[in-house]
This record gives sequence, structure tokens and C-alpha cells, in this order.
Amino acid sequence: MSGSTAWWRLVAAREVTTRMRDKTFLISTGVLLLVVAGSIVLTSLLGGRPPSYDVAVTDRAGSSLAEVTQDQLRAQSGDDEAKVTVSEVDDVAAARAAVDDEQVDAALLPTDDGFEIVGRDEVPAELSSATQSALSLTSLQANAEEAGTSVEDLTAGSTLREDTTTSGPVSSDTAGGIAFAMALLFFLTAISFGIAIAQSVVVEKENRIVEILAAAVPLRALLWGKVLGNSFLALAQVLAVALTAAVALLIVGNLDAIPAVGVAGLWFLAFFVVGFLALASLWSVAGSLATRQEDLQSTTVPGQALLLVPYLIAVAGSDKMIEVTSFVPIASSLTMPARLVDGDVPLWQPIVSLLLAAAAAALLIRLGARWYERTLLQTSRRTTYRELMRGNRDES
Amino acid sequence: MARENSIEVDDVVRDYGSTRALDEVSFGVRPGGLTGFVGANGAGKTTTMRIIMGVLAPDAGQVRWQGEPVTAEQRRTFGYLPEERGLYPKMRVAEQLRYLARLHGADGTQARRRSDTLLERLELGGHGDDMLETLSLGNQQRVQVAAALVHEPVALVLDEPFSGLDPLAVEVMVDLLREQVDAGVPVLFSSHQLELVERLCDDLVIVSDGRVVAAGSVEELRRTEREEYALHIAGHVDLGWVGEVDGVRILDKEAAGEEQVVVFQVDRPGAAQDVLREALGRGTVRELRRRTPTLAEIFREAVA
Repeated sequence: MSGSTAWWRLVAAREVTTRMRDKTFLISTGVLLLVVAGSIVLTSLLGGRPPSYDVAVTDRAGSSLAEVTQDQLRAQSGDDEAKVTVSEVDDVAAARAAVDDEQVDAALLPTDDGFEIVGRDEVPAELSSATQSALSLTSLQANAEEAGTSVEDLTAGSTLREDTTTSGPVSSDTAGGIAFAMALLFFLTAISFGIAIAQSVVVEKENRIVEILAAAVPLRALLWGKVLGNSFLALAQVLAVALTAAVALLIVGNLDAIPAVGVAGLWFLAFFVVGFLALASLWSVAGSLATRQEDLQSTTVPGQALLLVPYLIAVAGSDKMIEVTSFVPIASSLTMPARLVDGDVPLWQPIVSLLLAAAAAALLIRLGARWYERTLLQTSRRTTYRELMRGNRDES
Repeated sequence: MARENSIEVDDVVRDYGSTRALDEVSFGVRPGGLTGFVGANGAGKTTTMRIIMGVLAPDAGQVRWQGEPVTAEQRRTFGYLPEERGLYPKMRVAEQLRYLARLHGADGTQARRRSDTLLERLELGGHGDDMLETLSLGNQQRVQVAAALVHEPVALVLDEPFSGLDPLAVEVMVDLLREQVDAGVPVLFSSHQLELVERLCDDLVIVSDGRVVAAGSVEELRRTEREEYALHIAGHVDLGWVGEVDGVRILDKEAAGEEQVVVFQVDRPGAAQDVLREALGRGTVRELRRRTPTLAEIFREAVA
């Protein structure tokens, strides 16, 4: 055989095909994608639907007021899809009847000194406020013309611009949401695929096939195959989630969020790969310490803790804690992408953090490989982490 | 000789903590012969086999192949049936065999051909697409055997290959092993079933408490045993006198129907003739026969 390359490839390929045929895995992945798509669509349905009102008018003045009202509504809600639909009726009575029958949301009726807006139980506040602005504007325009000037001249110097002190690509609410989603995604994926690595190792121990494998291929090739096979699957799942999210955003028409997440998303992927690899060989050690599936409950505790603590910091920690942990390997995979979404991070920081994480990953992989080789063939009883640290030789 | 496909275990020592599991174990497994490896439980058979396969490292000594210390690369061309059986329960049988063949270096086509052939030979042709765990235990054992042979190994190390096999599978297994031996593959197998070992083996290695107490061809081991005879005399006569002949020791005396049988051992040339002459003078000799010890007796003698 041509070196150990072919071995790890065979092992990795088996990991992938076995998982792809595992119904539990397929179903849980499907559910995850549905939840992602569903939550995006649902959020948009609940909060993101553009305001739309039907109003009844009785004359041309009413119609043109409704038109200006639509402009004002768009300006106020910040939604270009906001709509005011006009239906002309014969008289005031017909207009009131249309409101009462809920055929329209409100009626715009002319009065001696302006307009009256009529609602059934109440007038929608948004519509009322937009109509008020529209009315002020049209009367201001009419009065200005009469006085021989223009609205522009009258309101010169009254422009108010908005700016924020942070330069993040998205609002802090959105950034918080995206950061949370990324932290959750890393946490869930790293835990589930990490445990999958541990399980895959213990299956081979539990069923004793490990001795045949050990006689056939170098243990290191076995380890690499498992780690890379599962890393590939984990990355594929993350990409599937990202793709699903993008398609869902496309469907609900909220495209602005995509480029905003883009750069942070690429950093997220880089940190994901490095963070996952750093832990991967430790997960395989969790598997090789065990002799049965049940043992995994205790042997995977350190791995779970190494993910849970930074996860909690990422979602609930103070800014200072997040900033500090964004340089701590593994934790940085959760906290650095969150900071990047928020913006205002000098470029050197994620680079240094990523290099630190990569160095830690290289070290942990070496250590993990050594522990794995030492404990894998110990099939008679569970080994403890303490024994590993002491470096006792296995006694089978 | 140096290039011959033989496995040599040379002064191998292995300790577990303060217990010495193997104490300077040495023996050879030659090509074209079936070598039986017998010993009581805990005598060191499995440890020796694991060391031969490189799954366990010796504390001292070495394993040689073709006269040179065996390399990891060469070991991968060996076939191994470990004491603790097991394959992937949730993997299809044929796929599993192909995977193992490929890990041993076969390409996709070879792997498919070999696994198909073996499944056919082991009468598992219809089970290739079944998950291993859905097979009966006996059939799972057969798959296990196939797993050891699927890469056409150049040497075979089999730990208790017959345990768990039904009588039919034992016969299939025996045929398979004979084929391998005839093709020049050295085969080492351990077993508790001494009758089976006796029937099959060309060579024998007996271990006791981590030491080799006897090794060689079965013929040799039988020959080098001290001379034993069984004397049958008609009637109920006292045969105590036999023990008084110079150089004779009685091993066993019993009455069998109408005759008396005495089994004795001699350590002086001509002593058996002296016993015969004396017996002829005392009564009717029905039979005087040189006994070849059974394997069980050799074993008992060796480990005593």
C-alpha cells in the first residue's frame, strides 16, 4: 500500500458512509435544517411583514392624501413594501359602512378644516401617525406655494442624520442574534460530532474488531481517518445549515443579512475547523478510554465541559470575558466569531487568535494520538484520565 | 532457509506488572505445516499470538519472518483471528470483508472477488448484504474466519479458530486450513480440543506457565517419549512381579474382562524382553504392545 494516506482515506470513507446510512443521524440533520429554515421564515412572518392598509376615500383630495400617506408610512416604518391601498366610495355613509364591515382598515373623510380618519374600534396608530405627517406635509406644501416659497426652503437646515458609534455591518440586535446562532451552531455540531468520534472508537473496542484493525493498519492512521471523516461530516453539516439559512433568507426576501454575515461567516468556518480539530483527538481518547458505550457518559465529560463553558461565556458572558476568551484556543471558536459579527475588531486579533488555536490544535492532536495509542487495545476495563496522566502502562 | 516463509518466535519475554506472562518463549512455525499451540488457560498462548501479530510488544526477544525481524509491513500480510472475536455489527457482511481486505492493501476489484469467493466457500453466499448482527452466532463465526483469510495472507495466526463453530463449520474450516497449508502458508493455531489438534497437526508447541515445555513435530514428540508397553495376560493373576524386573516401572494395572492389563515404562534396553520372558513362564500372554502416547498424555506429561 502506498503509505498511510490510503489507510486514513479508507477509514474516513467508512466513517462517512456509515454515518450517511445511519437513520438517526439523517433524521436529526433533517430536523436541524428544518428548525433553521423554520425559525427564519417564522421570524419574518411574525415581525417582518410590511405594513399594509386599505383605506376608503370619497374624493380626489382623499386619494392624493392616501398616496402621500403611503410615502410617509414607508419612510416611518423603513419598509419600502409598505402599502396604502385606496378604494373610492360614493359618499361618507358608504365609507363609514366599509369601515364598519371591515372591508377597509380606515376611511379618510374631508372636513371643514382638514380630514377626519375613521376606524372601526380604533385607528391603527401607525396609519394615523403616517396620515398626520402626510396631511402636515400636503398642507405645508399648499401654504408654502401660496406664500411664494417651497417646502424645501422652509425646512432648510432641519435634516437629521442617523449614525452609530460602532461600525458593525449590522445592527447590534441582529449581530447579537447572529453571534448567538453561530455559538449555538458550533456548540451543537462540535458536541454531536465529537461524541460521534468517541462512539465510533468505542464501537470498535466493544466489538473487539480493534485487534484486527490494529494488526492491519497503524493506529495513527485509524485515528486520523476517524478524525478527518467526522470533521468532514461536521463541516458539511455546518455548510448545509448555512446554505439552508441563505435559501430561507432568500425566500423571505431578507437579503441584506447575507453579505453582512459573509466575512464573519468565513472567519467562523476557519475557527470552526481549527476548534473542532483541536478537540477531535481528545474525543477519540474519550472513546479509547471506554470499553463500552455506557462508559462514554463519564469519559466524554471533559470534552463537553471544554465546549459548554466557552459556550456559556459566548452567549451570556460580559464583553470583557468574551474579549479575553476570544484568544483562548477552543473557546475562541465560540467567542471570536461573535466579536467579529459585532464589528470593531482589528484584523490582527482574529489572525493571532486563529494561529494560537492552530498551535493548540497541533499539540492536542499529538497528545491525543499518544493517549489513543496507549489505551485503544485495553479492552478489559475502563482506563481513567488520571492513569493516562501518570502514564501507566496498560495491564491487560 | 533464510528466505523460507516461516515464523520464528525467539526468546520472547513479556511481563504484566510483576507477573511474568512469557518466559523466553521460542519456537518456529514452518510453511507447509499446521502447528498446534496448546496449553492450559493463562499459559500464555494468546499473549504469544498477540506479540506475533504486533498488537502487543514483547519486553525482550523478537519475532522473525523469513529469518529477519518481522516488520509492520510484513505483519499486515499475515491473517489473524483474535481470541476476542468481533466485527462491525451494523455493517453489511460483504462490505465488511471488502473493507478489511482493502485495509490490508487489496484494491477494490481484488477485495470484491476474494470476499465473494470466501462467502461462497463458507456457505454464506446469500448473506453478503445482511447486517452482521442479523446473522446467527455460528454464521457470525464463519464471517470472522473469512475476515482472517480475505486478504490471502502469507501466514496465519489463529486463536482458538474452532471454538464456537458447529461441526459442519469445523469441517469447512479444516478444509480451508489444509488448503492454506498446501499452498505453503505457515499456520499456527491454538486450541483446547486436543483430539482435533491431534487429528490435524503436523507440529506441536506446548506451553505451560509462560514457558515452552515441548515443541516439534508430533511424530518426534511421540518418539522421544520414554518407552511404554501394555502387557495383557489371561486369567486373574497377580502382576505385581512386573514392577520388580530391573528397569521397569508400573504405570497402571487393571482387570479387563477375562484378562489383566499392566502398563509399564522401561528405561533399560531389553527390559521389555525380560518382562515378556518372565510372563511367558508364568501364564498365557495375550498381547505385548508398544504404546504411542496420545496427545493428551504428551500434554499431561509435558505440563506436569
